[in-house]
Amino acid sequence: MRRTALVATVLLGAVAQAAVAAPNPLRNVYFGDLHLHTRNSFDAYIFNVRATPEDAYAYAKGGTIKHAMGFDLHLNSGPLDFLAVTDHAEYLGVLHAIDTPGTEYSKVPYAKELFGTERNTVLAAFSRFAESLESGKRRADLADMSATVSAWQETIRSAERNNNPGTFTSFVGYEFTSAPGIRNLHRNVIFASGKAPAMPFSALESQNPEDLWRWLDARRAEGIEALAIPHNSNGSDGTMFERTMWNGQPIDRAYAELRARNEPLVEITQVKGTSETMPLLSPNDEFAGFELMTSYIGVTKPITRFEGGYVRDALKRGLEIQNAVGVNPYKMGFVAGSDSHNAAGSFEENNYFSKVGVLDGAPVQRGSVPPPEYKSWAEFEAAGKTPPLSSTWGSAGLTGVWAEENTRESLFAAMRRKETFGTTGPRIRVRLFAGYGIKSVNLATDAGVRAAYAKGVPMGGDLLVKAKQKPELVVIAMRDLRSAPLQRIQIVKGWTDASGKSFEKIFDAVCSDGGKVDRATQRCPDNGASVDVKTCQFSQDKGDGQLQAAWTDPEFDPKQNAFYYARVLENPTCRWSTWDAIRAHVEPNPKLARTIQERAYTSPIWVVPANGR
Amino acid sequence: MAVDDRVPRKARRALKAFASRAAREPLVHFFAVALVLFAAYSVLHGPEHRPAGASITIPQGRVNQIAESFRLLAGRMPSRAELQALVNDFADEEIDYREAIAMGLDADDTIVRRRMRQKLEFLAEDADASEAPTDGELAAWLHQHAAEYRVPERIAFRQILASSDIRGARALTDATGLRDKLNAGANPEELGDASMLPAVVPLTTREGVTSLFGEAFARHVFEQNACEDWFGPVASPLGAHDVQIMSREPARDPVFAEVRDQLRSDWIEAQRMAKREEFQARLRRRYHVTVDWPEPYRK
Repeated sequence: MRRTALVATVLLGAVAQAAVAAPNPLRNVYFGDLHLHTRNSFDAYIFNVRATPEDAYAYAKGGTIKHAMGFDLHLNSGPLDFLAVTDHAEYLGVLHAIDTPGTEYSKVPYAKELFGTERNTVLAAFSRFAESLESGKRRADLADMSATVSAWQETIRSAERNNNPGTFTSFVGYEFTSAPGIRNLHRNVIFASGKAPAMPFSALESQNPEDLWRWLDARRAEGIEALAIPHNSNGSDGTMFERTMWNGQPIDRAYAELRARNEPLVEITQVKGTSETMPLLSPNDEFAGFELMTSYIGVTKPITRFEGGYVRDALKRGLEIQNAVGVNPYKMGFVAGSDSHNAAGSFEENNYFSKVGVLDGAPVQRGSVPPPEYKSWAEFEAAGKTPPLSSTWGSAGLTGVWAEENTRESLFAAMRRKETFGTTGPRIRVRLFAGYGIKSVNLATDAGVRAAYAKGVPMGGDLLVKAKQKPELVVIAMRDLRSAPLQRIQIVKGWTDASGKSFEKIFDAVCSDGGKVDRATQRCPDNGASVDVKTCQFSQDKGDGQLQAAWTDPEFDPKQNAFYYARVLENPTCRWSTWDAIRAHVEPNPKLARTIQERAYTSPIWVVPANGR
Repeated sequence: MAVDDRVPRKARRALKAFASRAAREPLVHFFAVALVLFAAYSVLHGPEHRPAGASITIPQGRVNQIAESFRLLAGRMPSRAELQALVNDFADEEIDYREAIAMGLDADDTIVRRRMRQKLEFLAEDADASEAPTDGELAAWLHQHAAEYRVPERIAFRQILASSDIRGARALTDATGLRDKLNAGANPEELGDASMLPAVVPLTTREGVTSLFGEAFARHVFEQNACEDWFGPVASPLGAHDVQIMSREPARDPVFAEVRDQLRSDWIEAQRMAKREEFQARLRRRYHVTVDWPEPYRK
């Protein structure tokens, strides 16, 4: 196995060396994952994941590595352009140390239980770590940091070894795993260069994200640049994007600036569900029910507060808070990730292996195939059984970045200016610009892109309102050749009115198959694309390879603070659980969606009134 | 053997802690490896001569070695009392170890077995692993593994698209017409349907072309015989393309300097792996393994 990975890395390295292209001032798209775990994460190691950061890079570069259950993992859709290994800072490397006899760590009394064969004993021993993270208190018997120092050095060394400017970019990173009361406030911290601090700042130092941001400010002052990316706000029970600060006071200007400076991006989708929005928050968005996770992370406790837990809602709140304090704390661009704990993301529905090693590596464990003791799903249900939480997870998300070249400097600068987008897995390419006098540019041509940059702003930017002129949006998207054709591009608008209250509305901007947007409903006609769920074959003659549009807001009001982002929808395809069922020759689980519409979300463009609040 | 009580209990604990810190030091690791090497040698070359019963003799060599380990960490030789405490600890460890073996505690203990295997692997890797291959060795390695380091073929080309979004089923015939116009001297920038795909593709591998245009397109273009004309139509999921190859760089062996760092890193990794495998194979030869397979697994 290692041999395969090694040779693949070598080959790609050699190919890469010979093929470095000159920087493109009109920017290229690069796809990668900014959220990945290896054996150095406590909750990966416990589920038999032994793959290292080196293995993670080998996989990302197109090599083959082993899953914890012994099967091969390989990216069918080709190598990634960049990767950040983001292991949990809390107890980083510690489980491996406990499992290494002879270390001081291995003397903890529960070492034997952690690595025994009795599933319940293992989980009971492991709950010590979950409790520690919930409370934010480091276990006294694991106060020795030597294993963490060594794993952090491994993280940095491996990123440095695998960074090949021009062809493959690695980022040094880690996950700050704050979850007070299991409410998810996790962030990934991504460093701009190989310059990284001696130790990561973890949730065992403080669960308060404000302390993380202050720590990032302090590192920046020392010349170590980094940003934090919150994720799984869907599991925060409304606490990720609060109207208040940690101390319960309303957000003030200093907080808004601190947050916006350190968190320019948010992860909008990943394995544990999509955090864009959900039907209760967006009742008029018929595409809002996509891969939702409505429980706390890792437990069945249901979420009760959705406001403050979803990104679109946060963007709207940001406008409201900006009206009140003068700065928008939630001015976030979009990325997407895997959060896989297998050192390998499963981005493809038909190449799905879920998230955490031996916990969900087989279809029966993730609820897509009934356990062998039940002949059918009806029997399973009659026995009062429910599928596991992982059945509601989706395949991994991917980040797209528009940058001049594939280097840390170029990609990080793009992340800073939010010229990024998130997809639910496929490599859909999408560009969005807003400006004046750009509605006739053709973004499929170099000349058009050049004009759009010259006269407008790309995704992630601010456009100032000009007197007596309406902003024009231009958007283009191209399908992933290995996935389905595109169905439509939508523009999602959020704004605040004179009273300061926020609203949202969705406009279809362009339809596939020559369809025309109905001006009353702002929707495309149904393009009739279908999927045969017995074979997963989808319509070959429906949908478009490329869609593009120029769009102006029919309800534009120059006095309003507003944001616009594009959402690109594919034709329906089979969900991973349907693929699992077909391969096992069983009926798909009736509790799970059989098909999904994969999608891409561009970072928003904010349109700022001239009087400039 | 009499246990010396001249060193107070507290001091003995401190020394024990010291020894445990010592266990994390690389030099001490070296000694530990040496010790295990000795033990492994014994295993491989006949049973160690070990007196039976309750008597344990600690030879001078071992006492000297304990003293030396102390010196490496503390920077001075231990006092007689300090050395006595460390030797007592060693004796206790030996007694406990023998008792544990006698009680069969080593058998079927996953942790013990795994640890012993790990130590053997370290032994095998470290025995004579060289971290500094010469350029000669690396060049030989490259020669032996030439296929793995071969730089694959690359092609640079121009393409125009007759989009099936726009032209539907006519895309194929339209592309044929466009090809003829191009070969009659028409300007490619004025023909075809613009797309997010590059019109001009610099020298790119087959894998790179596949990721942009799909597998069928890449196969067609890479298998096209040398010609200066536009050819097509070449189908992709987006429609029908006409293609003109601008340059072709055949697969080649890399120049040594291009891949030297990679060779070094791979060479070291390969040496480690080979040593481990060789060692395992040597051990395996000493055993005849038979497995009594349970019924469901019998062939």
